[in-house]
Amino acid sequence: MNKKTSIFGGVTIIALALMVLMPILLPSVTLATEILIFALAALACNLLLGYTGLLSFGQGIFFGGGAYSASLVMLHLNFGLISALITAILVGALLALIVGALAIRRTGIYFVMLTLSFSQMAYFLAYTFSDWTGGDNGLLDVPRPALTLFGMTISDLQSSEAFYIFVAAVFAIVFVFSRRVIHSPFGTTLVAIRENEGRSSAVGFSTNHFKLVAFVISGAITGLAGALYAMLLNFAPLSNVELLMSENILIMTIIGGTSSLIGSILGAGSIVLMGDLLSSIWPRWMMILGAVLIAVVLFLPGGLWGGILSLTSKFPWKKVKTNVTSEVTK
Amino acid sequence: MNLYLFQVVNGIGLGMIYFLISVGLSIIFGLLNFVNFAHGAFYLLGAYLSYTAVSITGNYWLALIIAPLCIAFFAWVCERTLIKRVYHLPHMYQILVTLGVALIIQELCISIWGPIGKSISPPDSLKGVIAIGEFYYPQYRLFVIAFAAVVALLVWYLLDKTKFGALVRAGSEDAETVSLLGTHTHRLFSITFALGVGLAGLAGVLAAPIKGIHPFVGPEVLGIAFVVVVIGGMGSFTGALVGGLLVGIVQSVMSTLWPQGASLMIYAAMALVILVRPYGLFGRA
Repeated sequence: MNKKTSIFGGVTIIALALMVLMPILLPSVTLATEILIFALAALACNLLLGYTGLLSFGQGIFFGGGAYSASLVMLHLNFGLISALITAILVGALLALIVGALAIRRTGIYFVMLTLSFSQMAYFLAYTFSDWTGGDNGLLDVPRPALTLFGMTISDLQSSEAFYIFVAAVFAIVFVFSRRVIHSPFGTTLVAIRENEGRSSAVGFSTNHFKLVAFVISGAITGLAGALYAMLLNFAPLSNVELLMSENILIMTIIGGTSSLIGSILGAGSIVLMGDLLSSIWPRWMMILGAVLIAVVLFLPGGLWGGILSLTSKFPWKKVKTNVTSEVTK
Repeated sequence: MNLYLFQVVNGIGLGMIYFLISVGLSIIFGLLNFVNFAHGAFYLLGAYLSYTAVSITGNYWLALIIAPLCIAFFAWVCERTLIKRVYHLPHMYQILVTLGVALIIQELCISIWGPIGKSISPPDSLKGVIAIGEFYYPQYRLFVIAFAAVVALLVWYLLDKTKFGALVRAGSEDAETVSLLGTHTHRLFSITFALGVGLAGLAGVLAAPIKGIHPFVGPEVLGIAFVVVVIGGMGSFTGALVGGLLVGIVQSVMSTLWPQGASLMIYAAMALVILVRPYGLFGRA
């Protein structure tokens, strides 16, 4: 397999094309920004679910943790944009380290239950420590600092277009980074663990270490997404850490498709868009979401992206996919 | 002192409701090895159906019988059309499909009964209070404890003393062998699923006059049911009873002191049990 194509291949080009097209085609730039932020969260969830086989109900912990921590350091310590985002990444990673280290001690349904219980604990903690989190009201007046590099102000990011470009740049970096991760020996080992954990550990991989690192990467990216979301809204609501947020991120990931990172953009895009377009016409649009979720699990296990791929089977990265599986079976 | 006694008795009532919800989840997991994330939604639907039944007939007792039966029937239809297709899939897919079912039920409830909660009052014959010495207690809450205890006894009898129960227990061990011995396991599965979900519906009806009916309560109920089932041990009747009472009493006693603390405690206890003793207090290793 040619490594260059796997990193900067067709998938990355499609992702870039989507990023350029979205603000043009969608009714508002803010909507496009929201899609990219949730695409980040879904992508992080995909690393766990699609590539490692871990169904985590804890993504909201990292999302909310990132949102709260970035907001707090900006509000109380006057952190700038980049340092606030780095704080969110670190906090997301740390939370994922704690949750992951405990959750991976169990597998299957007990793993899911552990992430669920941590998610609920995080919610009630955030609710209890309302001095820090604002409780039910959320954290208000979260600033969106200007982007400065080496003392030079590049943009104040106040216009929604400027903020979109910044979020898109962040997304592109994370996307390329994640593609590097999944196509590295580390990433293929994760797939091996997903396919057959027993055999992977028999071959000599310390599977728990791999799962934990996957958790930390996922938590870091989700924390980043949470921070960006707080900056977009100028607000860090309690709903960020609700179980519903974890469920939504999970549903976006599944509906988009877990076989490729592009799926996460499609999943986040279709659900955020559906919510925006339908909620004004029919407030109960979530009913459709439930039906779509069932349909995807039963009839389209590859999600939207899998559906598109099977319609157009001549795509070059089909080869990449089979390569990965063949490496696993070897 | 009286306040604490009051809270403990309240907790027993709450615990019996939690038991009814959890025992269904537990049996379904035990026999069908199926994780039902729609369990809380069925509880919600049961509560709403009782609201409609009471407002049409004006008779709570009728609602108490009709609503759980409707839920059981609805669950049976769900099982025949959808749920049976996911038995053979990994737990992950079962969770996602039932999450979808839960979403549909919740949104359906809101579109029928509106986004604002409803309340129903207890039947006239149970509206008063009972005085035991200096201790006054609402009649309806005592009725809930007694009624749930009778149902618990019936469920225990059904599972422990009847042929159906023997089949359920045998099926939990090895469904394939039971099938080879000539039992229609798919029929057994449907009935068990309908029974388990029907119990959740019954819990919804019983709880409605005490807690009111709120459209977004499904996930919360599901969460508590999982706590109870995990603490008691998946598939264990005794575990669901003890776990339910434990969680109910803890929540009730803490409710005046620190309600979020109670939730924190029970979820922390759940995590601890999974980490230290994953088969629960009464489950088998």
